[in-house]
Amino acid sequence: MKNKEKKKKQSLVEKAKLFVKDYRRQLPLQMMVIPGIIFMIIFCYMPIYGLTIAFKSYTVIDTIDSAKWVGWANFKIVATDKYFWQSVINTLGISFLKLLIGFTTPIILSIMIYELRDGPFKRIIQTISYLPHFLSWIVLGGMIINWLSTTGLLNQILMAVGLVDNPTNFLLDSGKYWWIASLSDTWKEAGWGTVLYLATMAGIDPTYYEAARIDGAGRLRQITSITLPLMKTIISLNFILTISGLLKSNLDQTLVLMNSQNQAKAEVIDSYVYRMGMTQGDFSYATAVGLGVSVVSVILLVTANKITGKINEESVL
Amino acid sequence: MKNQMWKKGVCLGMAAMMTAGMLAGCGESSESKDTAMVQTGEDGVVESGRYTLDADTPAWKLDTKEDTTLTWYVNADWWNTEWGNDVVTKQIQKDMNVNIDFVVGDDTKLNTFFAGGDMPDIITIFDASSSVAQKADTWAYALQDLADNYDPYFYKVASAQTLSWFAMDDGKTYGYPGYSNTQEDYDSGEIYAKTAFVIRNDVYEALGKPSMGTQEEFLDVLNQIKEQFPDLIPLGFNNFETDGTSSLGDTLQDFLGTPIVNDDNTFYDRNMDEDYLSWIKTLNQAYKNGCISDDSFTDDNTAWQEKESIGKYACIMMDGTPQQAGFLTTFATSNPDAAYIAIDGPKSTAGYEPKLNQAGISGWMITYVSKTCKDPAKAIQLYTYLLSDEGQILTNYGVEGETYTINADGKYELTDAAKELQANDNDRFKKEMRLGEFIPFGHDRYKSLSDDAYPDSIKQMQEWGIGKLYPHFILENTDPETGSAEARAYSAIKTNWATTLVGMIRANDDAEFDSILESYRQFREENDWDAIVKVRNEKMAANAEKLGM
Repeated sequence: MKNKEKKKKQSLVEKAKLFVKDYRRQLPLQMMVIPGIIFMIIFCYMPIYGLTIAFKSYTVIDTIDSAKWVGWANFKIVATDKYFWQSVINTLGISFLKLLIGFTTPIILSIMIYELRDGPFKRIIQTISYLPHFLSWIVLGGMIINWLSTTGLLNQILMAVGLVDNPTNFLLDSGKYWWIASLSDTWKEAGWGTVLYLATMAGIDPTYYEAARIDGAGRLRQITSITLPLMKTIISLNFILTISGLLKSNLDQTLVLMNSQNQAKAEVIDSYVYRMGMTQGDFSYATAVGLGVSVVSVILLVTANKITGKINEESVL
Repeated sequence: MKNQMWKKGVCLGMAAMMTAGMLAGCGESSESKDTAMVQTGEDGVVESGRYTLDADTPAWKLDTKEDTTLTWYVNADWWNTEWGNDVVTKQIQKDMNVNIDFVVGDDTKLNTFFAGGDMPDIITIFDASSSVAQKADTWAYALQDLADNYDPYFYKVASAQTLSWFAMDDGKTYGYPGYSNTQEDYDSGEIYAKTAFVIRNDVYEALGKPSMGTQEEFLDVLNQIKEQFPDLIPLGFNNFETDGTSSLGDTLQDFLGTPIVNDDNTFYDRNMDEDYLSWIKTLNQAYKNGCISDDSFTDDNTAWQEKESIGKYACIMMDGTPQQAGFLTTFATSNPDAAYIAIDGPKSTAGYEPKLNQAGISGWMITYVSKTCKDPAKAIQLYTYLLSDEGQILTNYGVEGETYTINADGKYELTDAAKELQANDNDRFKKEMRLGEFIPFGHDRYKSLSDDAYPDSIKQMQEWGIGKLYPHFILENTDPETGSAEARAYSAIKTNWATTLVGMIRANDDAEFDSILESYRQFREENDWDAIVKVRNEKMAANAEKLGM
């Protein structure tokens, strides 16, 4: 018994010695890590302390320490605030539509681009599809408001085709907002979303395809049997990240496209927190919402990781 | 495997906490270092013979101390932090023997000052109802104490009404605002209305200068415009911000002259005023007649300004004419015959006279001297200097002979060199001259000294507004306190009102109009409306007392 403990102690000491020795040997490399760690501590870990204001009643002239503790009061207000819950519903609605359309479109698009023969046409397609990504929502929002107005592009097309008789302003119809938000976001980001997939596809060994062709596989069969299975990991990684971001919403987009008539459907968590926290100066309340959202996001992330892990037999994270 | 999963969970948790932590910011606390103000001796001598007080001479002319450096924090990122490199600040430096180190930032930075206790000497903020302002007595000197001790001339240049408006519970005033208009300013005719109902002159002439005062006339004229000028949208208004009511809420109420308070200075429900609502119904009729475009409700600022500068709207209910002036000028320059002009427009059916609003008594930027100020005497001298005619003329027009001259009519005019620089190289003009930019203590009344202060495109509108201004002081800062349940409810009601107003204008028939209005009324009842009115009434009673009403 004693011997065992002694042995354990000894091994601990040895381990420590080994660690010091290793550390010395790697000293130049370790030194390079230190600034990064310090940066993390100062900018990422120390601010965590500020989260305590979610449990306090905090104003601009308080310090974090001097503000009064109020326990769960802020969270209780959040829980009973029906505007907050409406914003949660909107966020989830828009996010699920984005998941449905915005997540699948880049995959399909990247396969289509991949299947194109190399040449100028392929490059032009790629460039055009990337382009909207580089415009800010402020610019793009103005364009979309214009396109959806009564004299805008969409109404002119619909009228030319004869689908509608009287032009309508689509942004005033709150029922259409979720679609407008998710489709416009997909249009903006789909091209950019293909980059990761195309990079993965570029790494696929061409002999797979050759072998498949010799075995008589057509284009579609090659996609379903070779391309997609080999992209499984990157697709699941993207999927997990998207799921964990379900409660995140596009603040810029919302602030630009929201108007008095679609507000009930357009207000998302981020814009609500922004309005309460920044515009109204209710920091404690906004932090409470932010903290709550982060906790739920972590749960979503872990769940999504577990589920994909079960499906793929190995988890990505 | 299990263990690994757990570790991952912790890592993810940390990652999420980090993201959330970014919101919260960080702060350090330390003892606040109040330095007691050095009182003036009984003989009126300030600080071992610097100067002797004289109520009839501004102290800056007496002060013998040379080269004081003060730090001045402005709570806005856009503030120009240069000092001594332009006409205006160079002259202040020369007259006052003072150097200013400007620091700029946002609420987060302000918070770190309070948290650290190491405050700048002078602090300028923008919100008189913020918690910073409400606790000013804990961190700033009372201006009366400073004036009594160092510069009694301050009382001659500061407005008594403004001082009493900003007085706190102890009867002392801690911050002084720029652009604070008093009753006197409203009566003087030196400040102009910023609201107008405008119409394109060519349209107005073509229709034979019709009256648009009654609701029948109004609808009739809009219909005529629709027929005769099919390219134009008959009626427009400022663009709608998300929570805002464009120029169809308070602005239209002011224009019609809807009462501001009940006779006993209690809350008057302006949104539910019969006269006002009957005009909203008229707008609804105009919408149904096709005289209002749906796009006007969704246009962002850029789209609205574009329509303004090409004269797309025949009539506009317009607020903030000075801000619109640039676009009006663009249109008037290319279409001199069609330039927008102000007409009487919609009139109250209840016989009210217009009660147009202007910047109120709360003003805009508010400046405080912190209790850690290195030289409070110099700080209050700076207030006196900038508030005096001398300082105001300097900040607006610069130095006589160098940047401005006074013409035969006694009007101030920029020199040709200055005008040319302003027109051709505005960046250099701002950098080297900084005229009209050094504004913490600015006031609109000094603009009337010059004919160039406002562009020609809005002068007729301003003239139309003469005599129609009406102070709304009693309504200022009466919103419920931030963070209270009432504030959250009020914010929801405001949002709902914006939706309701547009909904009423776009209603298909009277039944829909009434049901939208009724659901707004119900929404208010469900959202603590009575409590909000109670808060308002208390605050208005306090305001009335300060204003001596």
